[in-house]
Amino acid sequence: MKEPVVSIRTYTLTWLALLALALATTLIGLLDLGPFSMGIAILIATAKAALVVAFFMHGRYESKLVRVIIAAGVIWFLIMISNTLGDYITRGWLPFPGK
Amino acid sequence: MIEEAVDRPPTKTYLNAEVGIWSWLLTTDHKRIGILYTISITFFFFLGGFFALLMRLELVQPRNWLVSAETYNKLFSMHGIIMVWFFLIPSIPNTLGNFVLPMAVGAKDLAFPKLNLASWYVFMLGAAVTIYAIFRGGVDTGWTFYTPFSTASSTTYVTAAAMGIFINGFSSIMTGINFIATVHRMRAPGLTWYKLPIFVWSHYATSMIFVLATPVLAVTLLMVAVERIFKVGIFDPALGGDPVLFQHLFWFYSHPAVYIMVLPAMAVVSEIVPTFSRKPLFGYKAVCWASIGLATLGFLVWGHHMFVAGMSVYSAMTFSLFSYFVAIPSAIKVFNWTATMHRGAVSWDTPMLYAIGFIGLFTIGGMTGLFLAAIGLDVHVTDTYFVIAHFHYIMVGGTVMAFLGGVHYWWPKISGKLYPEALAKLSALTVFLGFNLTFFPQFVLGYLGMPRRYAAYPEEFQFLNILSTAGASILGVGYILPLVYLLWSWKYGRDAGPNPWKSTGLEWQTSSPPPKHNFEKTPVVTTTVPYPYEEMKEELGLVQTR
Amino acid sequence: MSKLDSVFEAKSPRQLELREQFSTPDHQRETAMVGMWIFLITEVLLFGALFTAFTVYRLSDPQAFDLGSKDMEIVLGSVNTAVLICSSFTMALSVYFAETGNQKMLMLFLIVTMFIGAVFLAIKFTEYHAHYLDHKVPAFWFEESSPHAAQIEMFFVFYFVMTGLHALHMMIGLGVLTVLLFRTAIGSITTEYHTPIEVGGLYWHFIDIVWIYLYAIFYIPGLHLK
Repeated sequence: MKEPVVSIRTYTLTWLALLALALATTLIGLLDLGPFSMGIAILIATAKAALVVAFFMHGRYESKLVRVIIAAGVIWFLIMISNTLGDYITRGWLPFPGK
Repeated sequence: MIEEAVDRPPTKTYLNAEVGIWSWLLTTDHKRIGILYTISITFFFFLGGFFALLMRLELVQPRNWLVSAETYNKLFSMHGIIMVWFFLIPSIPNTLGNFVLPMAVGAKDLAFPKLNLASWYVFMLGAAVTIYAIFRGGVDTGWTFYTPFSTASSTTYVTAAAMGIFINGFSSIMTGINFIATVHRMRAPGLTWYKLPIFVWSHYATSMIFVLATPVLAVTLLMVAVERIFKVGIFDPALGGDPVLFQHLFWFYSHPAVYIMVLPAMAVVSEIVPTFSRKPLFGYKAVCWASIGLATLGFLVWGHHMFVAGMSVYSAMTFSLFSYFVAIPSAIKVFNWTATMHRGAVSWDTPMLYAIGFIGLFTIGGMTGLFLAAIGLDVHVTDTYFVIAHFHYIMVGGTVMAFLGGVHYWWPKISGKLYPEALAKLSALTVFLGFNLTFFPQFVLGYLGMPRRYAAYPEEFQFLNILSTAGASILGVGYILPLVYLLWSWKYGRDAGPNPWKSTGLEWQTSSPPPKHNFEKTPVVTTTVPYPYEEMKEELGLVQTR
Repeated sequence: MSKLDSVFEAKSPRQLELREQFSTPDHQRETAMVGMWIFLITEVLLFGALFTAFTVYRLSDPQAFDLGSKDMEIVLGSVNTAVLICSSFTMALSVYFAETGNQKMLMLFLIVTMFIGAVFLAIKFTEYHAHYLDHKVPAFWFEESSPHAAQIEMFFVFYFVMTGLHALHMMIGLGVLTVLLFRTAIGSITTEYHTPIEVGGLYWHFIDIVWIYLYAIFYIPGLHLK
């Protein structure tokens, strides 16, 4: 019998942490944090995603190649969203119409 | 060690390992799948070319004479869609890449052979849906599907065409996954990354783009379809939507897509030039990382297709700056190819003629890209024939020539036969002359102000248009000739032997055609450098002439 | 036997464990994992494009999007988030039992995961129905009287497209789990060869991650307005 990669204990702790973070998201959402509410929600979501990737998906225990692949996915998504938003956010910065 | 004597062709090859139509349609052999793809993309090349022929005939006269303006819109749209997605993108990776890459890494097959076969079926399904759209009446949005015309106004088969391309995209993704996994995990013992031929590095870079860019196109076309079917306004200004957002998402894929089209072509040229110069590739590591650099930087420049669309000036400047940067890896490659030829024992076989043609024409195309990267100049020539000439110099003068060069180069390996050299050289020359006559006038036309996608134009442009059409007919002949003599040579050509070009690649160290599992025994790489022409000098039978 | 027969004949565990293009079972397993992870990042870009579009539109009118978010079924959405987290847990346990060779527990947890997944879908469709009754389904029945009506409709377009795409992935996931259950039942899965379970698990967890982000962008922003 091969040694399992992750123990039941680790899975259980991860599961409980995820539920706690989900609850936190909802409770924090009840507060009016103005422009930060979306940002904080995304931050907590990212923490949850990181837990799922690291423990449920064995991301912490996989080879360097797999971790580079994961990083590439995140980075390329960030390239797409930042350059696109970069256009919209910088519109109207110059005093010419339509620029 | 080469097992068979040079004059005797091998008896058991991948071609006769199993017989019957099902052994081809259900094959998992990457070489057979490469041939299946070759048949498909050749068909699409001529179909797309047919639409181009109709366009060029129409453009002989300044007024609409052959087709109506609406039909002309459909012609250039279908020409673009077929050529981009059903010819250029799969052309080299799925034909030559499929055939050569596993052998180049010393493997028996790709990492996921069944996925490879599935990718061909998915490709054909996407093709079927697109052909359906064409035969039901075509699509007139241009291959770029710009909103709101494609979502709100066009009455043609936009959804069907978009879905055909959507399906085709999965074929690209499957290929990309397969190639990346293969290069990482299926290399023969001793074959470290810095001993891999550039063919492999460039296809790896291409695969990076396959997997990172294609999903964005898929979901963007899906949104176009959703908007058309459900009449909801994702890109509709009335609903607070932004048509320019479509362009951002579309070009996020479509700019890297052009590197999907050119990286494999560079891959082919990077193999041909060292072989026919009898020298290792100059600046090997620079070329390796230039391939990766091209794939990466290519993702940062997409806004240069949108300078006049209404984006912010700061954003435009950023995209313009990166568009200049992205020229650098291409330039590195061009300099390294020419440096490889310098003081080499150059022979002018047909593949080398195509490769040199590529280097010259790609350079011209690439340099005109720099004109377009300058915002001020772009405002003048965008959406004119200047842009059309620019990308055809790269895609046709570049990729198609490299594809033909690669087909000729690996033909002996694929078929076991040699093609007729004199006819092949004549054909290459015809292509080169026909190409330049077709597309050089278009630079001038664009600079003078002739817009693209117009069937009618001012009288003063007629002469240059006639030159262009004349060139197109010559170019067509140049493309038909190889189809004829290559097929002829399959049956009647001379036997090639395992390594007619005396190349150092691993694929040349097995018989022509190869056995089903590529190598009699898994090769163990003991050479210390890529392109080991010095170390393998005696084995290859190369005579020192200088 | 004909060509078609050889394609469809069931493979023995020994054959599955080491396909001919690989040198060892570990080699095969690691390559399969690499392939699956690359596929998952294509999904990141797929959903990512929709997240990008959503963000662009939200930036242009955050208040309208908050108003749209107010109309979300927060209870059902939150329950669904917990539901999917539990299904990820049971899926991870399935992989554990596959690794330790416990066929019965593996099948049990696959079934539990599938059941929880079905619960998620049931709740989701209940939500969709509630939105329909509320007249908040663009293209079918959408009514909104506030001055931000157009932008709120855009919010709902994205809600249905993104959660719909997610639900489609869930349904595919249920199909995948069914296949895994079948393969486990016929004895193809062992401690030496349980890659399909791992690969299926990766897909399932990824779908959970997508939902985690969907919950954050659709349900949370308008919560304080309720």
